[in-house]
Amino acid sequence: MTNTGDLALATRGLRKSYGSHVALAGLDLSVPRGTVYGFLGPNGAGKTTTMRLLTGLIHPDAGSIELLGLPFGRGDRHRLYDVGALIESPSFYPFLSARQNLRELATNGAPVGAGRIEELLELTGLRDRAKDAVSTYSLGMKQRLGIAAALLSDPTLLLLDEPANGLDPAGIVAMRETLRHLAAIGKTVFVSSHLLAEVQQMADVVGIIAAGRLVREGLMQELLNAEGIVRVRVGLDEVAGAAAALAALTASGGVTSSTAEPGWISVRVRPDQSGEVNRVLAGAGIWATALETGNDLEMLFLELTGGAQAAGGEGTFFGMAGSRADPGAPGTTGTTGTGAAA
Amino acid sequence: MSLFLSGLRKLVRRRASWVTLALLAGLLSLIVIAVGATSNRPGASAMERAAILSLVTFPGAYDQILGFILGLGGLFAVIYGAAIAGSEWTWGTLKNAVARGQSRSRYTLLTFASVAAAIAIGLVITFVIGVIAALVGAGLAGVSTSGLTDTAAMGRLPEQFARGWLAIVEEGALGFTIATLARSQLAGIGAGIGLYFGESFAGIFLPDIVKYLPFNVANASLATQAADGGMGGGAQLASLDANLALALVVVWLIGSLLVAAVFTERAEITG
Repeated sequence: MTNTGDLALATRGLRKSYGSHVALAGLDLSVPRGTVYGFLGPNGAGKTTTMRLLTGLIHPDAGSIELLGLPFGRGDRHRLYDVGALIESPSFYPFLSARQNLRELATNGAPVGAGRIEELLELTGLRDRAKDAVSTYSLGMKQRLGIAAALLSDPTLLLLDEPANGLDPAGIVAMRETLRHLAAIGKTVFVSSHLLAEVQQMADVVGIIAAGRLVREGLMQELLNAEGIVRVRVGLDEVAGAAAALAALTASGGVTSSTAEPGWISVRVRPDQSGEVNRVLAGAGIWATALETGNDLEMLFLELTGGAQAAGGEGTFFGMAGSRADPGAPGTTGTTGTGAAA
Repeated sequence: MSLFLSGLRKLVRRRASWVTLALLAGLLSLIVIAVGATSNRPGASAMERAAILSLVTFPGAYDQILGFILGLGGLFAVIYGAAIAGSEWTWGTLKNAVARGQSRSRYTLLTFASVAAAIAIGLVITFVIGVIAALVGAGLAGVSTSGLTDTAAMGRLPEQFARGWLAIVEEGALGFTIATLARSQLAGIGAGIGLYFGESFAGIFLPDIVKYLPFNVANASLATQAADGGMGGGAQLASLDANLALALVVVWLIGSLLVAAVFTERAEITG
């Protein structure tokens, strides 16, 4: 493994199978220090398996993991003293209160500073219910407690699996601000989430995984810019002419016409080139009846994962006509604007 | 040490601990007091009456009470051990500890150490309640309680307690290990109960083998007549020498814990 000194977390060739099912097929992640890293992928893509591997709950069949610049394998459990984790659903003793759960959890792993538990109960808004048994908590409250548990030892690296699950809007905003603050003070936050809009607002770096492999990784803004798209609608008899004219703006294969929505053409260019698209069409004597730009994470995600979901995953729905899985379908863009070519 | 104390705190706060204790002590008290209250019923022969009154006649009542605790308490211990170990998997709290860098085998063994400590506390409490109930029963039956302070019996009590505790802990360890292997509370409890009664049943057909099995050696390790199929139930084949049985109890105990620790150490925690 090379050049991992600046990385809080790195995996190389990580492989994991459950029987004949390959969950991870050689995962290479590079998570820079001091960033919020959004870890995205459809259901069954291998996100939770990755999280379990990173916390030593399961062991890889092949490949390596580095946590905070040091190798992490069997027998390296002390590396986890600098890591806080919320894996899958929050897990607690239902008959203990929030305060008691945190207190008992603190007897494991890295030492917990005096007053830390009260500080976290305050931070997560649980102080008023801290004496109540966890069995009486709502899902959102358990999630808050899970986040508090992950922060217990003031970790350098935070691994959070779907942290926004069950949180109300105010809770999501508070969590986002907290995680951004942690990154600002040098901590690294690795967040797996299905809330793409949330990740887009929160993450500095994004990694997208599909079928056990990393399909894209990079700075959020750079990825979005590189993966921008402009969609135009023209008359059905003008599609071929428009596609030919627009081909000059982009690389080979960068212009596609939608079969699901006849008349719509997608051009893979930066969103700020929408005017140029319009001008080219006008130059060819074709007048767009609608124009949309977009570069949101959801579009990028769907394009990269190609609707390739595991059986039973939520992606089962993606194949429906007119669904958001089809980049050529209306409404797939985050920022929309409609206007006829001048 | 902090992990052991943490385990003990959790057990003390857990309702299952108190329910188990209340059931055992309640049943013991109910039986002993009922014996005292009904011992003078008409129609009972002198021999029957003497046998019944042995439950409330000191110093023999000490052994009878311990025998009951070991018998029924053994079943409760299997269930309790399985509940504690199984819940660590079912609730995902083992996952939390491992993800914080805790040693899996250390966590498993110290969690069981706290169970063993809780069993010791429960044993003392139940025994004291049983003695009080026997005194009440003796009063109802009109039996003298002069044997209560029998020095020979009192002198034997610490050793009997230690043997009884070890035997119940071994039975608890069995439930603990079964639930660990099953990674489930319910499966662990179910399998533990099945094993408990299965061993008794198998004793009918294979007494020479079954006498070395965990529940039978636990009963046989208490060197009293009461343990020989005492009123608490349990296996009926205590034909082993008490010291040999005690040695086998230790072997079963260590073996069970070793299996639990090694399994936990190697397991993939996916729940």
